[in-house]
Amino acid sequence: MGRVDLTIEICGMSGDGTIAAGGLLNLAVSKAGFSVLAFDSYPAEIRGFGRCVTRSRFSDQELKALTDSTDVLISLDDEQSLSRVPFLSAGAVVLFDSNPPTPVEEAKSLAARLSPGMAVLGVPFRDLATRASGSPRGRNLTALGALAVILGLPEEHFEEVITAKFRPKGEKVLEANLKSFRAGCDHARRELAGRIREPLRPPARGEGPERVMLSGNLAIAQGALDAGLRSYYGYPITPATPIMEYLAKKLPEKGGRVVQMEDEISSIGAVLGSFFAGSRAMTATSGPGFALMTELITHGVMSETPAVIIDAQRGGPATGLPTKTEQSDLTAAVFGGPGDSPRIVIAPTDVTECYRYTVKSFQLAEKYQTPVIVLSDFYLDNRVENVVMPRATEEETADGNLYPDPAEAGRYRRFRLTETGISPRAIPGTEGFLFAATGLEHNERGIPNYDPDNHQKMSSKRLAKIQSALADLEEPVETGGGGEYDLGAVGWGSTWGSVQEAVDRAREEGLKVGALKVTSLYPLHADLVRSFMDRCAEVLIPELNLEGQLATLIGHLFCGDLHRLNRVTGVPIAPAVILDKIREILGKGQR
Amino acid sequence: MKTPGKVLADKVKRIKDSKLFSVRSEALPTWCPGCGYFGIHYGINNAIQGLGLDHHRVVVVSGIGCAGRYPFFSNTYGLHTVHGRALPVATGVKLANPELTVFAVGGDGDGLGIGGGHIPHTARRDININYVLFDNSIYGLTKGQPSPSSPVGFKTKASPAGTTDQPLNATLMALAYRAGFVARLFAGDPEGIAAALKEGIRHQGFSFFHVYTSCVTFDKQFKTWENLKKRVRPLPGDYDPGDYKKAMDLVLSDDDSMGIIYRRS
Repeated sequence: MGRVDLTIEICGMSGDGTIAAGGLLNLAVSKAGFSVLAFDSYPAEIRGFGRCVTRSRFSDQELKALTDSTDVLISLDDEQSLSRVPFLSAGAVVLFDSNPPTPVEEAKSLAARLSPGMAVLGVPFRDLATRASGSPRGRNLTALGALAVILGLPEEHFEEVITAKFRPKGEKVLEANLKSFRAGCDHARRELAGRIREPLRPPARGEGPERVMLSGNLAIAQGALDAGLRSYYGYPITPATPIMEYLAKKLPEKGGRVVQMEDEISSIGAVLGSFFAGSRAMTATSGPGFALMTELITHGVMSETPAVIIDAQRGGPATGLPTKTEQSDLTAAVFGGPGDSPRIVIAPTDVTECYRYTVKSFQLAEKYQTPVIVLSDFYLDNRVENVVMPRATEEETADGNLYPDPAEAGRYRRFRLTETGISPRAIPGTEGFLFAATGLEHNERGIPNYDPDNHQKMSSKRLAKIQSALADLEEPVETGGGGEYDLGAVGWGSTWGSVQEAVDRAREEGLKVGALKVTSLYPLHADLVRSFMDRCAEVLIPELNLEGQLATLIGHLFCGDLHRLNRVTGVPIAPAVILDKIREILGKGQR
Repeated sequence: MKTPGKVLADKVKRIKDSKLFSVRSEALPTWCPGCGYFGIHYGINNAIQGLGLDHHRVVVVSGIGCAGRYPFFSNTYGLHTVHGRALPVATGVKLANPELTVFAVGGDGDGLGIGGGHIPHTARRDININYVLFDNSIYGLTKGQPSPSSPVGFKTKASPAGTTDQPLNATLMALAYRAGFVARLFAGDPEGIAAALKEGIRHQGFSFFHVYTSCVTFDKQFKTWENLKKRVRPLPGDYDPGDYKKAMDLVLSDDDSMGIIYRRS
């Protein structure tokens, strides 16, 4: 990584302003010109007491993953922060409230648990905020002020983002927050002068395009908007709900509509109905809702009706872990449902791809007349990256439908067998092309038909059609320089960033390793995946599921036993964990 | 004297002259001879024809069951979905293109059993779709099991001792859900179905048509034609479908009068 690579955590109780402080920190650091990747974890329970942690990594290089070691911890609540101590790096800086409202027994204090090499800096957040603004409420900003001075981050960037956030709430609120922030800055300059570091230097990016803080969920929602979404049908479910909420605000401005349906079954039903009538529609859900959708998804396959489904995965099975991340819906997405029901499944690996893949899914759904499932996950949905705002091109959002030749009017065969398997699709309202689509097996005219030959032919048609989509799907991306590898790691979804970083670091250590990013999960570029794995003596697939669902999907393409690295801890897998596994497989100790 | 052949030829000529054939697809219905669905089919076709709707601007969305097969016998666009889900799919169709006249059709198992959860919400959203519930109180396509509207004591292979569950009254449900247009109709009166459908199609919002019909193959016990004919009668001439409370009272009184029960003005 680059010269600057810092992970900062803010930890407090809900109500401490933890998440707000984290958001401001990310924005200010982004303004300063660094890359930012951040991920908050918050309690599943809305009321009651819960620990909030924001985790931000920033660097002068592009970031694709979080680390699991923390360089700076801001503790807004020491009791909660104790749980973060094991993740502190050897020389970590810890900022804590030196005069908390309830004194902590020394043995139970945060300071007592820290290692000697750490810089433990007490700042009376509450007192300072109260003195400056008349209320302790701004203590989170006081903490940010102290942090800005100690790390040498430009204070004006913080003040800009604080102003942007609080001005809409009135000048009084804004003033109180700015005063609380400055109180932290002043205190640090006065009392912690010896601890102030060399100012962090951002990369020389020059006058690049502006960067925005974007979460995976908002990237998905904006991608759908830009792709010309007309109707969104959904049912509230964590972690997909923000997509519906964002669209509820934005879609009506573009003449579309958001309908909150009675369940996920009706959501996918309405999506199919809208696409059947020639209009772009989408639904987003998570595992439990996705499970309910499977029957109608296979109906989309059978009746050759397009649909776009976002499955924002979370810990499972059943209700599982609603606010924790996991990659355990892959098998369900690819194979879920009755019968042979090939559909398209794609999985973005970062926020920008969340946007691009969502845009792409509409054209794919239309062109191949099939449900398209975009697999994201809790981590990808909720992490924010400062990215150059992606913009879909006209070509990317163009109508993907293949309409019948007007000359066919009156003798239209909706499900005509063609070389590609794609049969021109008429839209209701078109004269001369009446047909009925059905979830029953049917002949070329759409009439139910159970003849042995017919089912064989039509099933093959539907599979061939989906296979032909490979031409339009992203190919796997290899990093590592090509040629032969002692080990190749394959990654998908939000875990890819950690895979890539682990492999980069392994290569810096002199290990002969490569990595392959797979984003098209079905259909699969089997030949390309095989040719990568053929060049690897060992293959490692890290995933956030218990048995290795990608490993199971592609394992048959490798002629040996591949290594699986599976975690179901509910948190992203850190690059260091993958790096350790690479070293272990290759028999190399840590350097 | 008319030979049976001549009688049939006359009937075919009459139907052809009515142009109803243009709404009927070439596919022959798979329903049993004597099935009430023929009457409903006639009623829907007659309404489409009578209102002069362009066939290519009509979409019939169905669920699963004998009634689910409807789209194949209709010379319109059709979408035969999965069990119980005609209403949400029809909602998607209508919202995507409000120019289309959209029907949802299905049986009592489809609509009151597996799909029962969708009726209240479709009524709440009040989107302009026309839902025709073919209620013969039996699962016919799976060869005769009791349905959510089967009367208590119904003996089938799946209920050899007779059913014990209370039957659902679809008209009462639609009223309770505040559907804006509720009609109760009889498959033995296709003209009545057509007349009510024409009104309901014109109604801007969700229209619910509860059609009493008979399964001639699997129900020899309760909803036979004979029994249904004894029960049904027209609404009183002075009946005012604009009065919600009276509509509720009527339906709660176990009365089986047929017609437009409620219409929100």
